[in-house]
Amino acid sequence: MIQLSHEQVAFILEDLKANGIHSEELQLSLLDHICCMIEEEMTPEQDFVNFYQKVVPRFFKRDLREIQEETDLLLTFKHYYAMKKVMLISGTFTAFLFVIGAFFKSMHWPGASFFIVISITVLSFLFLPILFVFKAREVSAKRDIITIGIATVFGILISLSALFKIMHWPGANVMWLSSLGILFFLFLPIFFFGGIRNAETKVNTIVSSILILVACGILFSLTSLRNSKWTDESIHHIDDLLQSSAQLSNEVKPSSIAKDSASIQMIHESSNIICQNIKLVKDHLISKIPTNELGLKEGELIRIYGENLETPYETLFNEAGKPIQGLVSLKQELKSYEKLIKRQTGMVSIPFLETKDTHRYGDPQEELLTWEETNFSHVTLAVLLRNLNLLMLNVRMVEKISTNS
Amino acid sequence: MVMKSHKKVKELTGGKIQLTEGALYPTLHALEAQGILTTEVVNVGNRLRKYYTVTSSGKLMADEKVNEFSDFMNTMIFLLDLKPKMGKA
Repeated sequence: MIQLSHEQVAFILEDLKANGIHSEELQLSLLDHICCMIEEEMTPEQDFVNFYQKVVPRFFKRDLREIQEETDLLLTFKHYYAMKKVMLISGTFTAFLFVIGAFFKSMHWPGASFFIVISITVLSFLFLPILFVFKAREVSAKRDIITIGIATVFGILISLSALFKIMHWPGANVMWLSSLGILFFLFLPIFFFGGIRNAETKVNTIVSSILILVACGILFSLTSLRNSKWTDESIHHIDDLLQSSAQLSNEVKPSSIAKDSASIQMIHESSNIICQNIKLVKDHLISKIPTNELGLKEGELIRIYGENLETPYETLFNEAGKPIQGLVSLKQELKSYEKLIKRQTGMVSIPFLETKDTHRYGDPQEELLTWEETNFSHVTLAVLLRNLNLLMLNVRMVEKISTNS
Repeated sequence: MVMKSHKKVKELTGGKIQLTEGALYPTLHALEAQGILTTEVVNVGNRLRKYYTVTSSGKLMADEKVNEFSDFMNTMIFLLDLKPKMGKA
């Protein structure tokens, strides 16, 4: 058995370093192993360098570097199983908690926010980052790792923006829009063009891209970033009415009071009929709320179903978009009430009793809306009930002013 | 010594499992980092040699893993209705 010299040992060490074995521990192990093999198998006549080059390939399948890579992988990923467990547990926990939170939220039970905040926080800062680590390990191309990274950032941002939106925290819209920006301008192009080049992944890539686009489109349209134009218009209308009521209540003159007791009686009767009518419309509307089996009062209904948009329209307008009889007769009563008041008191203008058609936003360029449409169509339950209540208040105020009661 | 392990694996499996000479090092280093193995470095002339020893916790873990694997094998043999030529099942 031969004995390798210092120079020969140094030669092997340098070669190991040059071939990607960078950790000292591994150099030490491999060096001794190679030296032992050479010392055991080489005869004194054989050339050291030649023999070394024959021995080394017995250490690997592809190249020496693979030993180092495998070692690094095992060392950095020794928590693989623990991480996998954490990922699965946190994922299940998140899904479970989120469903509970959403259910609590829809039932207006206390604790909904707690469940939602915890579940989305765990999702964004534990589950998704670990998922990224695992998914990134499955692919080797840098491009794929970047795609997965962008998808993770998108996922985190969109969950956080949903959280901020649900909790009414500031910055939700900015986050939501920037996550959509990342999706449309970064993730989808890289994912789509990367995937369709490969015949194997082409169909899957196209289908996934379509699904992602559709899902985000639905999310985007559901998360209305602002009120509908009808709701906006209706709220402006209420503001106008309030303002004119306030103005009128301040400008009462003795001349605007009805003179004889017969006309005062007429005004009282007419007011009562209108308020009765308004109450009938309200009762009809409330009875049509599909989930109101509990017989909730108006205030509770607004709190729970205030955002309901469908029921008011379906209840107060028929399939052809025409208002129901209750609204039509209310409009007629208001018209005659307005005439009666003007005749009896000499008031020139009572804006909140007017029932004529108006242009949307008060802009002549916009479409002409009937009084029923302006006040009662395409608005949420809360806005609608507010309109009816305001109308009732105004009728009563005019009654008080004009009869000095 | 690591060098001998490759030959032993080859002999015991009748050549069915052939490891490359470098195949064990990544696992050995990982096991060392996890505290399953301890090492002793000895100077042998112009280089250093590393001896690996299984720690007591490592031995427990090894037993556990072997048992787990044996259970798994028994289950598989039962499930697939194999007639084993060797082993306890």
